[in-house]
Amino acid sequence: MRWRLAFLGALLIPELALDPFRGGLTATLRHPFGTDDLGRDALLRLALAAAHSLGFASGCALLALSLGLLLAWQGQRFLGLWSALRSLPPLLFLLPMAAAMGGLPALPLGLLLGGLIAPHLEPALRVRINHFRHSPAWAVERTLGAPWPSTLRRWAPWGWQQTAAIFPSAWLAALWGEATLSTLGLGPGPGHDSLGRLLAEELPRIGSDPSPLGWAALGTVLLLAWSSVPRATA
Amino acid sequence: MGLGVWAIGLALALGLPGATWKQARPPLFPWEMLGPTLLAVAALSLLAPTLAWMVGPNLAQRRSLALLEAPPDLLWAGLLLALWPAAWGPPGVMGWLLAFLAAALPGEARWLAQAMPGERPFPLAWGKAAVSRVRCLVLARLWGRWIVARLPVWLTATLVLERILGMPGLGTDWMTRVVVRDRAGLSLWVLALALLWVLSQSWEGEAA
Repeated sequence: MRWRLAFLGALLIPELALDPFRGGLTATLRHPFGTDDLGRDALLRLALAAAHSLGFASGCALLALSLGLLLAWQGQRFLGLWSALRSLPPLLFLLPMAAAMGGLPALPLGLLLGGLIAPHLEPALRVRINHFRHSPAWAVERTLGAPWPSTLRRWAPWGWQQTAAIFPSAWLAALWGEATLSTLGLGPGPGHDSLGRLLAEELPRIGSDPSPLGWAALGTVLLLAWSSVPRATA
Repeated sequence: MGLGVWAIGLALALGLPGATWKQARPPLFPWEMLGPTLLAVAALSLLAPTLAWMVGPNLAQRRSLALLEAPPDLLWAGLLLALWPAAWGPPGVMGWLLAFLAAALPGEARWLAQAMPGERPFPLAWGKAAVSRVRCLVLARLWGRWIVARLPVWLTATLVLERILGMPGLGTDWMTRVVVRDRAGLSLWVLALALLWVLSQSWEGEAA
């Protein structure tokens, strides 16, 4: 969870400077993957776009987890509602909405993705919270009337451990949600470079005029996907 | 309460805000894609249970399956575009079908394998024939519920693949109706999805 959260800082890194007169250069020692059409070093751009995507996914996943916790804690009476919301994948809502609006900017997209992923996290969080709610330790806290700060201090490590188990799935859903929208040209505009945006530029020509950047972007998607597979699986 | 959500969804579809700049006619339903879509669903609904039947509940723990399942739909479409020989022309229906099966099959096989009960000590102790028979019965019981629960996921997968491969199909139809503000057509889509949800709920209730 920590390495994923570290990428939140990548959202503060500025975009690479454009140099259109040096666009489309082939691979050299200085530019191992060449340069893109706007003169940016392709390798640097890939690293920065991936870092931006990972940071964006971490932000969305944090929001989704917070909302999911709220739903699991307070939303016991609305279980049918969460079940109905879970029956549709987030992208089935997002894609037509983004198409109708001509693309979604980064902030609304992040909020929407977080809101749509939250009901999917609710059952797993509810199971953990109910276990905690029915424990004698929690009953003792309430009986003794422990103040909120001390309760929080005592239980925060447990909460962190529990949410850390669910965080990767929320993170991956946010990562692929943003990447899919951007690949289809419906994500944030050119001011927000991302892995999906890179694929949107490279995929149309990958069959006829492939570049190292296009293949590297596909490889990065594959590596990120495989990084989420637990090693413990038999 | 869930039905209330679908009623709100229907109301939203009927009163979808905004209008197109230029009046556009609602798209015709892509009947020509109905055949390939049914073929894709049939292939998936045959291959995934067969895989689950052959390997059993242990399939859900296989790392190789998890590695195939992890990449997003867009990667399969991207790889298909990259590897498809240019001399063959655009990937078309066959390419779409291949990408769809690559994207959906691992996840569906795992869904079924996870839903199957454990086999130790029984029916494993009764021999191979009993194991095979029990798997058959379990999968026959799961089949309808699985199809109903997973159809919206497949619709999303086809939507992404159709857009990347440039092939209008059922997913694109749903999306285009939002764009041209075809409220009647969109309401039919919402009703169809609501019906799937009601069916999946009744199956869940029966299972409980």
